Amino acid sequence: MASVFTDPVLLFFVAALLGSSFLFVNGKSKDGAEGTLRMLDGSLAFTITGILASGWTWVIYNDMVRNPLGGEFCATEGLVQCGSVIGDPRYNNLFGMSWGSLGLAAFAALFFLILCIRMDMHAKWVGNYINYAWWMGLAGVPFLFLLIGIEIFVVNHICPFCTVAHLALIGYLVTVWRLRERRENSAWHRLQRLNQLLD
Amino acid sequence: MARRRRRIEPQGKDEDVRLMAGLITAGVISIVLVASMFIAPPANVGPEEGSLAPDFIASAYTGGAWEEVRLSEIYDGRLVYINFLDTDCPYCWEEGTELSNMHQAFHEDVIFINVMVSLEIVGHDSSREEVQAFRDKTPFGDNENNGDGCYSGRKNCAERPGEAHTWMYVDDLTNSIAGDWDLPGTPFSVILDGEGTVVWNQAQSDNHPPGEEVGNALVRLLGGE
Repeated sequence: MASVFTDPVLLFFVAALLGSSFLFVNGKSKDGAEGTLRMLDGSLAFTITGILASGWTWVIYNDMVRNPLGGEFCATEGLVQCGSVIGDPRYNNLFGMSWGSLGLAAFAALFFLILCIRMDMHAKWVGNYINYAWWMGLAGVPFLFLLIGIEIFVVNHICPFCTVAHLALIGYLVTVWRLRERRENSAWHRLQRLNQLLD
Repeated sequence: MARRRRRIEPQGKDEDVRLMAGLITAGVISIVLVASMFIAPPANVGPEEGSLAPDFIASAYTGGAWEEVRLSEIYDGRLVYINFLDTDCPYCWEEGTELSNMHQAFHEDVIFINVMVSLEIVGHDSSREEVQAFRDKTPFGDNENNGDGCYSGRKNCAERPGEAHTWMYVDDLTNSIAGDWDLPGTPFSVILDGEGTVVWNQAQSDNHPPGEEVGNALVRLLGGE
């Protein structure tokens, strides 16, 4: 593959990240349930981007295990490439599990939590689920720092699809943080604001 | 006494949506998994015969400075004979002669690699200097049972049986490669084909002609009698 920057899959992921960000920003500027739902859509979009990016890094991992010196799905030369990161047998797995498959499982759990909230944002358990979504997302941050550290300081290459998954997690955390704030500040839905004014 | 006003709260849905959310999540993940496996199926990696050999990047000694090598970069179409040794293991000490003889016989058709581990046994505390001395048959330690040298620290490495070895010795003194290869003990032999697939594993004796030794396996795999 010539250049990773012309890779249509990468361009799709960049568009997905931008779309998720747009949904979030759009929801943030709206009041009440409509804004909350739009922010939840943004959060869901980030988790879907994370699921797809993780799935794609798993594809690259499987390909590079078979063809260690030149995979079919990502560049193996240059600063930004997959060969020296996903193709490195020392760092491309955690206890034998590829990072892509682990990311897939983690983003699936986050997707489930946000989808539950999105499907019934007034349910009694929503407060708890937002907290679970926040703390579970936060649990991924040490791994994110570990992987970025390995990319920058150990193998000296940047894996673009891994970076998409990392950005999806960061975007997800920002949206959930603002959702938590929104719930605590009585902006979750209009009636909540009304209650606040009547109090 | 102030009257408490009844708060107005929207009600959640009558049915519990979490089961449906779980099913949707399972569906999404299943689609991604099936698509991923369709595009690039997971490879069967492991030390078992028929599997792709676990790749490794490690420091290797070929007589000069220790240099980083990657197993998958070594494949050139010839068979690869990987032998796991521990400089302090008495059986590995005795294996020195057989290795020299096999290299003499097969070096044109087979790539020889020794992966040097340090088993977690009392008295097995190898070092790179000891590995170099074991390979090159140079003085390291003495014949006093004082912990220095090869053979559980009982012998001078220069006295190892066989000739000095001329092929690659890989540093796995942390046993990380040994872990990936499910090393049962030392010495332990595996043969790979020219593309990195395990074609002979010493531990899988059921798959070979009964009692087949590694030398006979090399002859058979090279198409000999």
